[in-house]
Amino acid sequence: MKNEIEDWEENVQMLTDSIGAVVPPDGSVSRVRKARHVGAGFDTNIWHTMAEMGWLAITLDETCGGLGLGLREATALLKGLGKGLTPEPITPAIMALRLMADAGEKILIDEALSGEKIILAAWQATPDSVDPSAGVSIKDALLYGKKISIEGGLAAHAFVVTTPHGICIVPKDSKGLTIKSTPMHDGTFTTQLIFEGVKTSSLACTNMERSLFEAQLMHCAYLLGVSERAFEITLAYLRLRKQFGVAIGSFQALQHRSTEIKIQLELARASIAAAAGAIDTGKSHRHCQMNAHRASTRVKMLTRLVAREAVQMHGAIGYTDEADIGLYVRKAMTSVGLYGPEYRLRENYMALREIQV
Amino acid sequence: MTDTKNTPPFIAEYSTHPDFNAMSDVTFRSLVKNFVEKNYPDIPRFVQHRLSWLEVRPWYGILARAGWIAPTWPQKLGGMGLNAGKQLILIEEFERFGCGRVHDIGTAMLGPMLMQYGTKEQQDYYLPRILHGEDIWAQGYSEPDAGSDLASLRTEAIIEGDEWVINGQKTWATLGADANMIFILARTDKSVKKQAGISFLLVPMDCKGITVRPIENIEGHSELCEVFFDNVRIPLDHIVGDANNGWTMAKALLGHERVFIGAPRLSANALTRLENLARDNGLWPDPVFRDRFASLAMDLEDLTDLFETYLERLKNGEPIGAEVGVLKIFQSELYQRISEELMQISGSLAGIKKGDDNDLKHDASGTYLAARPTTIFGGSTEVMRNVLARVSLELPKQ
Ligand SMILES: Cc1cc2nc3c(=O)[nH]c(=O)nc-3n(C[C@H](O)[C@H](O)[C@H](O)COP(=O)(O)OP(=O)(O)OC[C@H]3O[C@@H](n4cnc5c(N)ncnc54)[C@H](O)[C@@H]3O)c2cc1C
Repeated sequence: MKNEIEDWEENVQMLTDSIGAVVPPDGSVSRVRKARHVGAGFDTNIWHTMAEMGWLAITLDETCGGLGLGLREATALLKGLGKGLTPEPITPAIMALRLMADAGEKILIDEALSGEKIILAAWQATPDSVDPSAGVSIKDALLYGKKISIEGGLAAHAFVVTTPHGICIVPKDSKGLTIKSTPMHDGTFTTQLIFEGVKTSSLACTNMERSLFEAQLMHCAYLLGVSERAFEITLAYLRLRKQFGVAIGSFQALQHRSTEIKIQLELARASIAAAAGAIDTGKSHRHCQMNAHRASTRVKMLTRLVAREAVQMHGAIGYTDEADIGLYVRKAMTSVGLYGPEYRLRENYMALREIQV
Repeated sequence: MTDTKNTPPFIAEYSTHPDFNAMSDVTFRSLVKNFVEKNYPDIPRFVQHRLSWLEVRPWYGILARAGWIAPTWPQKLGGMGLNAGKQLILIEEFERFGCGRVHDIGTAMLGPMLMQYGTKEQQDYYLPRILHGEDIWAQGYSEPDAGSDLASLRTEAIIEGDEWVINGQKTWATLGADANMIFILARTDKSVKKQAGISFLLVPMDCKGITVRPIENIEGHSELCEVFFDNVRIPLDHIVGDANNGWTMAKALLGHERVFIGAPRLSANALTRLENLARDNGLWPDPVFRDRFASLAMDLEDLTDLFETYLERLKNGEPIGAEVGVLKIFQSELYQRISEELMQISGSLAGIKKGDDNDLKHDASGTYLAARPTTIFGGSTEVMRNVLARVSLELPKQ
């Protein structure tokens, strides 16, 4: 047991160090700024770098060519990427890999791991749903229905679609598939898939819910990174900006509200760490799912709080395109609603809580 | 700009002003609804940001010709003279149709201030020009180092012969690129206490020496501008009140700005969107949502009642002073809470950016972003709370 603990801590350290390959350690976000709404809204060269670093393979089983690491490592990675506002859609790619591995799909996994093909999970039916089986149906080996909110979908080669019967792998140029992408405030695009009788074969898959709550947790680690960095930038501004002859950070009103963020930040860190630990130490499905919902809810509330306070405490400068803090605010506002809004997570949490074990 | 001779009959029909306040709410609502449906020109609808002057000008013209451009001004000065309840109905119906916001710094801020402090000549000259859309005003208060601490402003005006000569820089001037006039606060005496050496000047934007640089905002629009003054000359009479007495006018104008921001208009718009979105996405019957909605709706109605008492005070000529903070803070924070609920129930699609290619009627993200600065401009919430605590609650200074 002791060794295992040291292992993951070491892994986390190594990963955190390696993130510098994509996220400049000096905090510059000029790459991200320039990538906004250009092409697919992210950089396919960086995608290859990420694949080379093995990040896509992080939670994938070693038998499938993965690194076989846990959620503690994956959340550390995602938090680091969040700090740098990384727009590459790594969470839906990792989710797609987990789904394909469970369904025994080998060839595409290799192509995805190498970065050659971008394959993303398409699990969501409606803007506030967290049920991966909803939104589509299969009749006579033809897929019908709709999936929405696929981050980075504009550059995807194929989608792993979750259905009531398992998964379907749908290449982007499939007949009967309509792909629609819409710009978001953070410079990325959100993609929607409409299936009007897409010929497909359904693969049995047993870890749909599990891959979803793992993805939820990775996404909230990303949001935690966004929030942490936005808070750092804001604190720096509170020390720098002077009004009435003093630094605005000396005003108690702002100090108290900053400490509220600090309190929420610590709660969020603890909640995510516990949720990741629960998965990695093999706690029950229900326990892990409840924990993921709880951590997501906490982080989302934090993200909304930080976004609100970041603009407010910056004053007018926070409302410009020019200031980096605005990039964080826009990332927060576009990403916070992914993987379920808080009211839905709370509702699910209560449903799970009632289940007798 | 407005040509009263060629007023089409459908507008003229509205331009004889009855006592709107005496009408029943139902009658007034259908009047407004009719007006909008018949008269709204072929310009964008359902946008949260301000339209450019080019876009909104036809609508401004129609409102001006009908005498509907200044809903809050007294009727004898060319306004509609609406009470709070009727104002809200007007807002709701404009919003239901998705009418663009007209350039309103003249009607909402400068006009009311001139009614109080302008000379008879200034009132007779400037007020009709605002009503007719001949003058579009911008506000030149803030500077890079004078935000919350406005009184530390450094833009300077000195007298040379029969002119003011202005040097310095203003920033965050909303509509600065569209405006043909800007009112500014300038330092005219450096030897006295900060507040005692400021004057309130009226400056045509086409003066030699003025440079305007648009600032791209967080939504990608350029409503905000920096305005640079390099030896800008204006006649001596382009001043409101006495020289070095500008702080009084500045505060009076801020009072009107705060009443304007404190009006239920913005929250009412947002709540209408929230209801429409919830009805469209099926959340409307959900009891948990309804509880949150009810609480916001009650807040809005309480705000409207409170707003009515402020309007009464204004009508009776009672000063409002620091108490205006109550209204301004509650409204702007309510607006933000409603906008956050809009974001919440938009779920994974909350971040969609309204564009030409999507008909984003409820525009959650646009509302969210538009709500942010209302707690910053016109006096930030923090500074207004400081003032309320000290002046209204008479708590000791730190
Ligand atoms: C969209 C928009 C439109 C605007 N339009 C105009 C316009 O048309 N004309 C114009 O002149 N200006 C305009 N402004 C500027 C606005 O008036 C200023 O932003 C405002 O006065 C705050 O100044 P600041 O931005 O420099 O923030 P700062 O004064 O630097 O404040 C930063 C933060 O510190 C807080 N703070 C400051 N002092 C204290 C204190 N004593 N105690 C506690 N907290 C404090 C503030 O509340 C804020 O949260 C606009 C601003 C925005 C965002």
